[in-house]
Amino acid sequence: MNGQLGPDEEPKVADLLRGNAEARTFLRAVAEQAVVVADVERLDQHKPQPAKVVTPVFRPWKWAVAAAAAFVLLSAFVIATTPPRHTAKVSAILGPCQYIAADGKKRDEVKVGTLLRVGDTIRTRSSSAWVKLDLNSGSLMTIAGRSRLRLLNVDGRRGFQLANGNLWATVAQSAGAKPISIQTPTATVEAKVAQFDVEAASMSSIVRVNSGTANVMRLADGQALDVVADHQAVVSPRRSRPFAMTRQPEPVNEWSCRLIASSEAVFGKWLQPDEKNSVRLGATPLLIGKKNTIYMASFSVQCSSSPPVLIESGSRVRIRGTTRAEGPIYFGITTQRIKGVFFGKYTAKIEPGTLGQAGEPWQVEVPLSQFKPKARHLPGSPAGMELTDIWIVSREENAELEIHSVKFLPREVGQ
Amino acid sequence: MSQRDRVSAAAWLVVRNAHTAEDIFQNVALKAMTKGVQFESVGALMSWAIITARREGIDWLRRQKNAPICLDNTILELLEQEWADEAAAGDIRGQALRDCLEDLPAKSRDLLKRRYFDGHACEAVAEQLGVRLDAIYKRLSRLHQALKKCIEIKLEQPAS
Repeated sequence: MNGQLGPDEEPKVADLLRGNAEARTFLRAVAEQAVVVADVERLDQHKPQPAKVVTPVFRPWKWAVAAAAAFVLLSAFVIATTPPRHTAKVSAILGPCQYIAADGKKRDEVKVGTLLRVGDTIRTRSSSAWVKLDLNSGSLMTIAGRSRLRLLNVDGRRGFQLANGNLWATVAQSAGAKPISIQTPTATVEAKVAQFDVEAASMSSIVRVNSGTANVMRLADGQALDVVADHQAVVSPRRSRPFAMTRQPEPVNEWSCRLIASSEAVFGKWLQPDEKNSVRLGATPLLIGKKNTIYMASFSVQCSSSPPVLIESGSRVRIRGTTRAEGPIYFGITTQRIKGVFFGKYTAKIEPGTLGQAGEPWQVEVPLSQFKPKARHLPGSPAGMELTDIWIVSREENAELEIHSVKFLPREVGQ
Repeated sequence: MSQRDRVSAAAWLVVRNAHTAEDIFQNVALKAMTKGVQFESVGALMSWAIITARREGIDWLRRQKNAPICLDNTILELLEQEWADEAAAGDIRGQALRDCLEDLPAKSRDLLKRRYFDGHACEAVAEQLGVRLDAIYKRLSRLHQALKKCIEIKLEQPAS
């Protein structure tokens, strides 16, 4: 409680507090006791002294005039200072999403036109889902994948909390529009006019600015820096990690996920190595709606510290894994414009015949041409876009889907 | 626990200073009044107040040198949600805690005063009292547990 944990202790304490309600109850009790002790001591040191009572002379007309004047002044002040309400309207949506009102009421069906107010939360619940929000005054935001965004009441700003996931924001200049402030578990990102994206996880946030400027503050120590166009910043909760603006690297055309080496880059459950595979990532169940569970593993390009990956017309996705029961699985990719906004999702269905005998390891290579757009407005191919993430999904629990290797390969020479 | 104590406690978790936490509570209350914000429920009001207190706390930390480590946002959010839920459920531990503090022996209350009212770090308190740092940590931990237990007992007793 002195705020003097060692670097080894910090993550342990954080894990304990995240996972143990009793530990949190105790911490809250300590905080309450600290402020009440101070309050009681303050009161003891300022015991009220007996005061001399003077009876005022009551003059009703003076009170009436004063009350009327105060009312007029107060009304004028309230009208002049009340800013337009901070809201966000759902302008496009795809896939399983959830709306959680400020009072905790949940709605699993979110429609275009839904208005989010301060305190409301919107979640995209599966890798294939995304939601576009219109923030008034020409500003837009998109969240995709497994993301959770809440509208906050932040003084002088349009506040958001991105608890986890991916967000793309275009903050337009507009008369009277307040800057946008996005809180992640490790950073606060503020911008007046900018186009940027944020990938937030519990142990890091990656902010990439494509135009304009965003101010990024590291919550661990309050350090802040302005990230300008074509630059990025990685924000860790550890003070020992460097916190600086760096130029966004040039795109490459291939990517090999290093799995364990970049544990923040994956979603799934690590399994014990066996004789055949030293690295095994099991698909994790995801409840995406009422009585609807999928089993998913996903891999983020940005979180793996890779340069941006350019999708070419002949690119291929090669994945190794196993499934214990016969049934289709689905490969998916999320795409965004190079140095730009969210573009769309593409998926490919892998038939059981391609996977061979259940229980045996498989390696499947899917050319880009087999990926189909998840929305009507998208072109048939995402060639020319940037790869954000790759995911693999099974609908069957008994498939026990596990992944051993994920590669995004360039087009073959001569293609 | 009164709403005021909860908001102050949430701020204290960020700034670890009871007087600053009290200042933050005052600022939050002022904002609620001057901005004329309206809420549909006590839970929504508390949620807003606690988040605003956190924001103010972080702003305060930014202005400090050698500021304490701020807890991860996800943890603060969990704690804040639990506070807001308690507030919505009408939890009334505040007076019980004050009664329990009154019942404490003078020595224990002095220790709490040095740590939380005077704002001394545990090392400084250990030096002032001429005891080992470990002993201060243990005493404080026992005191916190004892107060928590005392509150539970008081709340279980039927109202007289």
